[in-house]
Amino acid sequence: MQVQGSHTISAPREKVWALLQDPQVLARCVPGVTEMIATAENQYNAVLNVAVGPVKGKFQAKVTITDRQPPQQMTLSIDAKSPSGIVTATGTLKLSELEGGTTQIDWEGEPKLRGMLATLAGRLIGGITQQQADVFFANLDKEASSPQPA
Amino acid sequence: MTQLPDSNYKAPDGPQKYIGKAVKRVEDPRFITGQGHYTDDINVHGQLHAAMLRSPYAHAKIGQIDASAALALKGVHAVLTGQDLADAKVGSIPTGWLLPDLKIPPHPAIAHGEVHYVGDIVAVVIAESRALAEDAVALIEVDLEPLDAVSLGSQALAQGAAEVHPEAPGNVAFNWEIGDAAAADELFKQADHVVSLKIRNHRLVPNAIEPRASLAQYQRSSEEFTLHTTSQNPHIHRLMLAAFVLGIPEHKLRVISPDVGGGFGSKIFQYPEEVIVLFAAKKLNRPVKWAARRSESFVSDMQGRDHESEAQLALSKDGKMLALKVDTIANMGAYLTTFAPAVPTYLYGTLLNGVYKFGAVHAKVTGVFTNTVPVDAYRGAGRPEATYLVERIVSKAASELGMDAAEIRRKNFIQPEDFPYQTPVALVYDSGNYEPALDKALGMLGYQDLLKEQAEGRKNGRYIGIGFSTYVEACGLAPSALVGQLGAQAGQWESAVVRVMPTGKIEVLTGSHSHGQGHETTFAQIAAEEFGIPMEDVVIVHGDTGKMPFGWGTYGSRSAAVGGSALKMALGRIKDKATKIAAHLLEAAPEDIEVADGQFKVKGVPEGGKSFFDVALMAHLAHNLPEGMEPGLEAQYMYDPKNFVYPFGTHIAVVELDADTGHVKMIKYVCVDDCGPLINPLVVEGQVHGGIAQGFGQAILEETVYDEEGNMLTGSFMEYSMPRAEDLPMFEIDHTVTPSPHNPLGVKGIGESGTIASTAAVANAVNDALRAFGHHHVDMPFTPEKVWRAMKGGVQDLGQAADD
Repeated sequence: MQVQGSHTISAPREKVWALLQDPQVLARCVPGVTEMIATAENQYNAVLNVAVGPVKGKFQAKVTITDRQPPQQMTLSIDAKSPSGIVTATGTLKLSELEGGTTQIDWEGEPKLRGMLATLAGRLIGGITQQQADVFFANLDKEASSPQPA
Repeated sequence: MTQLPDSNYKAPDGPQKYIGKAVKRVEDPRFITGQGHYTDDINVHGQLHAAMLRSPYAHAKIGQIDASAALALKGVHAVLTGQDLADAKVGSIPTGWLLPDLKIPPHPAIAHGEVHYVGDIVAVVIAESRALAEDAVALIEVDLEPLDAVSLGSQALAQGAAEVHPEAPGNVAFNWEIGDAAAADELFKQADHVVSLKIRNHRLVPNAIEPRASLAQYQRSSEEFTLHTTSQNPHIHRLMLAAFVLGIPEHKLRVISPDVGGGFGSKIFQYPEEVIVLFAAKKLNRPVKWAARRSESFVSDMQGRDHESEAQLALSKDGKMLALKVDTIANMGAYLTTFAPAVPTYLYGTLLNGVYKFGAVHAKVTGVFTNTVPVDAYRGAGRPEATYLVERIVSKAASELGMDAAEIRRKNFIQPEDFPYQTPVALVYDSGNYEPALDKALGMLGYQDLLKEQAEGRKNGRYIGIGFSTYVEACGLAPSALVGQLGAQAGQWESAVVRVMPTGKIEVLTGSHSHGQGHETTFAQIAAEEFGIPMEDVVIVHGDTGKMPFGWGTYGSRSAAVGGSALKMALGRIKDKATKIAAHLLEAAPEDIEVADGQFKVKGVPEGGKSFFDVALMAHLAHNLPEGMEPGLEAQYMYDPKNFVYPFGTHIAVVELDADTGHVKMIKYVCVDDCGPLINPLVVEGQVHGGIAQGFGQAILEETVYDEEGNMLTGSFMEYSMPRAEDLPMFEIDHTVTPSPHNPLGVKGIGESGTIASTAAVANAVNDALRAFGHHHVDMPFTPEKVWRAMKGGVQDLGQAADD
């Protein structure tokens, strides 16, 4: 199922781009992240504790960035495993400058569930993705507007 | 069929005391007060718990398995993998029915090398508690390399489809056919009209109310195993586990299935979890229990149905049915389980004749492997699939020819004088009289008035549909020699032991098994009837290989016809001996003794008989027995049936479609079944009610959906809709009685008739209503969306793919 969304971040595009490249920032913004380690250029390992409706549990995720075009576009692929199943997703983020020093992020992606997860959450995955994205971009917006990025 | 004189049916001479009476079930107080004793209720000292790591992929290569984090948890005793079973030379789970050139890929209890469906077991944790075992499962790291997968039978046969097993090129498990193709072709040439039908019989999850569970115990000193498990047939498990899988000497393995909360077929089969707990119990020298979560049941209980078929029916212009041709793809899932090859072949192809006089019937079935949960027997097993196809195409023919759906059936019925009737597809129907059942059902329905109401309704936007199913089914499988010729690796006789105690109380041991059927009541009725003693004096014992001599268990509606017949024959032996003892004590000839109300009396002498108690006591005291008589009063009989039995009847469903929502409301359901003499009408009624609800479930609500990659999308009751009381009207049920001539009770099975008949009746009713919208055939399940689309028109003769 194709999901997409659009969010505005209160910071200029270069700053938003920089935030998105920082594993520390991502670890704070992605809901449920307990660990985020860069393992190679364009590659992270993450541990997420997810509890959204029927999707519950500890996910071991590999995140790979494949198409990096600073500061306007990146494509991520995620492969997250949990005992109840596997989530794979490919998503593209497009950053465009808005007036007043803010940035619009348009994203789209296609999450795919396997195993018991497909059974439990197959029909909910669209909503869950939207909801998680809302949390992520709200967190990112907070990071962007905080006076001194950590 | 050979008919042995000792077991043919003889109608009772006079009124019966227990048989035929609607006795309340003696097991029900136990069940409805929460005192049933199920496998998961049993806990033993030192017991450990198993939890399964199940494959999230439909098809994948198993790489490295790192269990170190799981094993590091305090209280985790072991992590088992397919390699452990292979190292210990644990055998493949066998297939119990063979067909010519059948491809049987290995089926290890824990997958080894590759997993083949979502739910296939990859590793097992054994730990102090269930919670700990499940937590530890989450810590096992497995490298699974996904492989291409396939989930639909016809797609598995397509060029370039993913290969499920290298042992089965093209994913073909078997090619099977029955009937005379040339004769059928000849009759099609003479036909005035040919009706074609492309039909899907979608897949179902059995959903017994009690999830499966197994508890294994091992005594190291004696090397004896005890397995408590949710089974319909404990002796079959003992045989398969001992002889084929674990190599346990058969006398060192006791299999007990205590109270079992429903099976519907799903608890016949040899499952991996039973192998695993036995293996682990020995390895760790501790009892090991596993109990399925409901979510596990969805991906680990063998599923039912899943056919894609094309059929043609040849008719003359006056509606006489000449011949039927059927081509079916049967999705077998990832492995061939216990009875799987028999279900879409001998339990399906042989029933495609229905109740009609065909000149020829020909069926071709291709069994196909896919990356899905294996498919095996599910209530009706093959016969619902056959009945749905035959009854649907007959109703479609009526619709196309503008004939009345009841009359086209009547016109083609096999007639009473034709029995025993040899069909063109191997079976010999024992007895039948189809028209009285149809007439009785039409009368109960008020058919002519209903037709008027339907016609009126259509003018006013009210869409009523009337659906017929005039079914016949074959159950009580047998004789053993015949099923052996057909490929069964099992016999199909049944055992009974009647043990009369010194005080005249009777213990009956039956190899048949009750998991909802009510044996403790009906079998006690049969035993008490023989001597006229109180039913309370009889106890029925089943489900324990340590107690009864042997047994093939319960499935295929065989309990009454085969297990009940064994009991009747053993009772006859007791009666003979008891009569001789009574005659001896009364100083009369045995021929002059009669027994009634628990008293043996000399005929014509009302005073001074001997009670059943007196006779039983003397049999055990042996102080005064006829010269040379062996003491005691116990008899055993192994009853091998002479033929299948063939219950039949007419079911009529009436539905109304909601034009705004597409919701199908069943407003009336009448049925007239013929299962021969009824042992207990209340138990029969219960079986018929449950059966109708189950068949209705398939027609309207239930559907197991896999995506193209083999992920099951309907693995919970959120996604898989079961029938509820509010979906159903009160059923109006009645009977005709045509005894089976070849078993001593004259009975025919009734456990599956409801399901076999009702799916087709309901589907025909919905299709009848949809005729108002120009449709001749819409496939089940009739979800509101599908029905609404069909009513909105524009979509002609919707197939399975109606939903997205």
